[in-house]
Amino acid sequence: MRFVAAMALREMRASWRRLLFFFLCIALGVGAIVTLRSVIQSVRTVFAGEARGLLGADLVVSSGRPIEGDLATRIDERLAEAGAQVTRTAETATMARAAGQGDGPARMVELKAVSVGFPYYGTLKLEGGAAYSHGLVAGGGALVRPELLAQLGLSRGDRLSIGGRDFTIRGVIDAEPGRRLGAFSLGPRVIIDLADLQQTSLLAVGSRVTFQRLAKVPDARLAALTTTLRDDVKNSFIRVRSYTVTEGDLGEDFARAENYLSLVGLVVVILGGVGVSSVTRVFVQQKIRTIAILKCLGARGGQVLAIYVAQVLALGLLGSVVGVVLALGVVAWIPALLGPALTQGIDVSYRLTPSAVLQGAATGLLVSLLFSLVPLLDVRHVKPSGLLRDEAGGMPRDWVRWAAMVGVGGALVAITMWQAGSARIGGIVAAGFTALAVVLYLAGLGLIRAVRPLSAASWFPLRHAALQLTRPGGQVHLVLLTVGLGTFFILGVRALQNNLVQEVSVDLASDAPDLFLLDIQRDQVDGVMQTLQSRLPAGAVPPRALPVLRARVVGVQGRDLTLEDYEDVRGRGSLAREYTVTYRSGLEPNERIIAGTPWDDTAAPGGEVSIEESIRTRFGIDVGDTIRFDILGRTLSATVTSVRHVEWSDTRAGGFMFVFRPGLLDAAPHGLIAFVRGPAATADRARLLSDLARGYPNVSVIDGREMLAAIAGVVDNVTLAVTVVGGLVVTSGLLILVGAVAMTKFRRVYEAAILKTLGATRRVIATMLLLEYAVLGALAGVLGAAGAGGLTWALSRYAFDMPFRAPTALLLLGVVACGLSVALVGVVSSWDVLQKRPLSTLSGR
Amino acid sequence: MITLRGVSKTVTSGDRPLTILHSLDLDVPDGQFLAIVGPSGSGKTTLLGLMAGLDAPTTGSIVIGDTDITALDEDRLAVLRGARIGFVFQFFHLVPSLTALENVLIPMELVGRPGARARAIELMREVGLEDRGHHYPSQLSGGEQQRVAIARALANDPPLILADEPTGNLDGANGRHILDLLLSVRRTRRATLVLVTHDSDIAALADARLTLRDGRPVPEATTAGVGAGR
Repeated sequence: MRFVAAMALREMRASWRRLLFFFLCIALGVGAIVTLRSVIQSVRTVFAGEARGLLGADLVVSSGRPIEGDLATRIDERLAEAGAQVTRTAETATMARAAGQGDGPARMVELKAVSVGFPYYGTLKLEGGAAYSHGLVAGGGALVRPELLAQLGLSRGDRLSIGGRDFTIRGVIDAEPGRRLGAFSLGPRVIIDLADLQQTSLLAVGSRVTFQRLAKVPDARLAALTTTLRDDVKNSFIRVRSYTVTEGDLGEDFARAENYLSLVGLVVVILGGVGVSSVTRVFVQQKIRTIAILKCLGARGGQVLAIYVAQVLALGLLGSVVGVVLALGVVAWIPALLGPALTQGIDVSYRLTPSAVLQGAATGLLVSLLFSLVPLLDVRHVKPSGLLRDEAGGMPRDWVRWAAMVGVGGALVAITMWQAGSARIGGIVAAGFTALAVVLYLAGLGLIRAVRPLSAASWFPLRHAALQLTRPGGQVHLVLLTVGLGTFFILGVRALQNNLVQEVSVDLASDAPDLFLLDIQRDQVDGVMQTLQSRLPAGAVPPRALPVLRARVVGVQGRDLTLEDYEDVRGRGSLAREYTVTYRSGLEPNERIIAGTPWDDTAAPGGEVSIEESIRTRFGIDVGDTIRFDILGRTLSATVTSVRHVEWSDTRAGGFMFVFRPGLLDAAPHGLIAFVRGPAATADRARLLSDLARGYPNVSVIDGREMLAAIAGVVDNVTLAVTVVGGLVVTSGLLILVGAVAMTKFRRVYEAAILKTLGATRRVIATMLLLEYAVLGALAGVLGAAGAGGLTWALSRYAFDMPFRAPTALLLLGVVACGLSVALVGVVSSWDVLQKRPLSTLSGR
Repeated sequence: MITLRGVSKTVTSGDRPLTILHSLDLDVPDGQFLAIVGPSGSGKTTLLGLMAGLDAPTTGSIVIGDTDITALDEDRLAVLRGARIGFVFQFFHLVPSLTALENVLIPMELVGRPGARARAIELMREVGLEDRGHHYPSQLSGGEQQRVAIARALANDPPLILADEPTGNLDGANGRHILDLLLSVRRTRRATLVLVTHDSDIAALADARLTLRDGRPVPEATTAGVGAGR
């Protein structure tokens, strides 16, 4: 054992420089894993500990409709029996503007109306450290986020108009319990008294308001109360959540995010592992003489194997330690990087967690060991007699080697599953990675075949560059896998972003509507239309209003599908969600019937409905089936008479999953929506919004331009994140390239010495190197670009349902950049080959 | 005593078998200096390698002391070499990543010999390189490398020293120095020395001589206890 340790240490003195680059890749991957896991675990610890604060209560009963009638009575009885304190809240998105300013701007806000007692847990932090009490909102008071003050040019003490009623701004919200991490927001938060909400025009029929009862329940009663209430509301649209469930949900969400993100780190570690495998093979080849000497001097096969395994383990451990140190630095930097915005007022102390460090280091160590094991097994076959004469022939491939390969493959899949926290996801990722590796390997074979004719070229540098690329044991496969994969990541996401941005620009450039008006009451339609017309430029597409109702499917009686009640529908996933439905007599320009028959202009006494084709394909509902809907608390049946294809990318006419034949719903109380192409000039738009907010305070206006800007922001963030990941992978690829060059440099230095002796100038040798690496880099770029193009096409076509625009310029740029980077790194890391004088090299042999 | 009975070696050359050492019987008494001579390709180095257990014979048995080394597996052969055989190569074969002193330490560390470092320093002094222990092989001349190789071969006081043309890669003066070193070592330690050489002057110094040609002993030029095997 002492011999093994001593030999491993001595050997590493010479070998660490050559192996360093591969273990830096391991370090990068380990750093990514440890950072991601630590950050998410840090946030998770705080959030899981504050689940009650997030919910503001022990238990929340919520619904998109007022909770009233017998069910409300029963819920209140249950809460009272359990000794719960209860407070009520309601939330909706609506428009707010400065009171008393006729043409002042209007903004969409997220309004929350609260009662005495709110919040039971967590603290509503106000600017200046003022304490929250219900008195601040009672009797016409409002608390607002600072950004709204800035947008409307208001300050504390000013008055705000919402839903036709004025409120006095009595405080500025710093942080609010219950605001979920990273949740998408339609606008800044405004908090008012629930009693005041009743006096606004916001509770009209069809308004999108969520009503909640927040309860503080004795701990011992909470579980039983939650179960009982859930039984009570089973077939209604009321939801019951307890903080323990929130805690569990949050825990699961965070665990999933942590595991999936860690796979990114794993990909980098595995790329490092591929490099380790390749370098170990070359390393063993270079060490054959040393191994033979050791065996000749009396070392057993097992001892020799142990010497090299110990070196790999030591370097793997070193890589992991470097990774953990990197993670330590990044995690320390995170608070400054993210600022408080992400976690809105909740103090998260970011630190490395022991489990993240353990998982990262264990992964680094295991991957290093697994990837080096198979090539290291070759040391068993080194014979001491090789010192006496050159023995031809490669290493035999015995069953131990094959068994080791199978074992290593299985272990890597197991590690992927462990990191993904799911056998299924881990399996999919492992299969995907294997498929990708096979494709890149085949591409490498293709390249070698394509380049081979060049080895007969008359230009000396080109001929020798081709020979280097096509010779056995070259770096083609390794570089293609690592650099190609990184390029694929970066170009893929950039190309997709380009396509999305172009799609958005096209939408904005056309006459597509960009203002969406919600919650218009029937008696307001004419007035709203007139206001719109008056503010639109001459010749603009006239605004349209559509009747809309909110409906849930509560049963299906069909040939292939029978769902008895809402509980059954819930079992069908998104079929149970609340749909916005409309009724009309004809088709829109972006629709066509693909099954059944269209109805005529006449109203039908019985209910008839046309479904969008995905309802048929996803849920098996077809023409002739009967669907039961709950609309405003009433159950209505309608027979499916047609299936429609909707061209969703054509936003001018919108789209509905369910369209009813006129007759059934005409008399039902409902609101309308309208969409219009608003004025282009900012001032004109602001004036229009202001007019609408003043004249029709209950009508919410969503500005499509702002939404698109927000979406572009999200796309930017996602692009940045994936680019960072791609950058990590490309960096690993280039490090592996440097390492691969370093590993095979001894051969190149020798060959260059011979060529120099025979008359080759350094310029010729530099040209050879440049050509070789440029071709290799360009091919890695081509593969990455082809993959990126394919990914963009598939996602555009199937996921985003938008036309594919080939990002040719971007992809070409990627190929050129990739070729240049690899050429540069290849030539610079081969500097010795150019500089070393031939005599010293040749006499050294 | 080294006893070879019916030892031969056949290798595959292309797709045809090629016998590089024909069946041979040989006895080397303890303490003897045996020189193996012959032209290139006559099977000298192959025979030496077989005696060291670096390769397995195609037929026959090789007994060193009371151990039939042809019955041992790779690992036991390695242990036997570490403890009882010192091997000196024509091309030195020092581990390039280790210093001279560390090269000498290897055999002793393998058997877990106490006081290895002090002994390695003593051996380096014995071969006249006491101040070069921290140098790497690439920083030493050929003669110096071979002296380190001899020090390494002597590390565990092996009763058998096998040398494959130890002076073949050195100039005259250095070669003479190395030979003197080997002979002095053999004398002082009463070790058996089997030396492969091209040099008839060196062969003349041996107690016995085995001349090989085309893998067979040449009787008229051989004084060792040999015979053609069955």
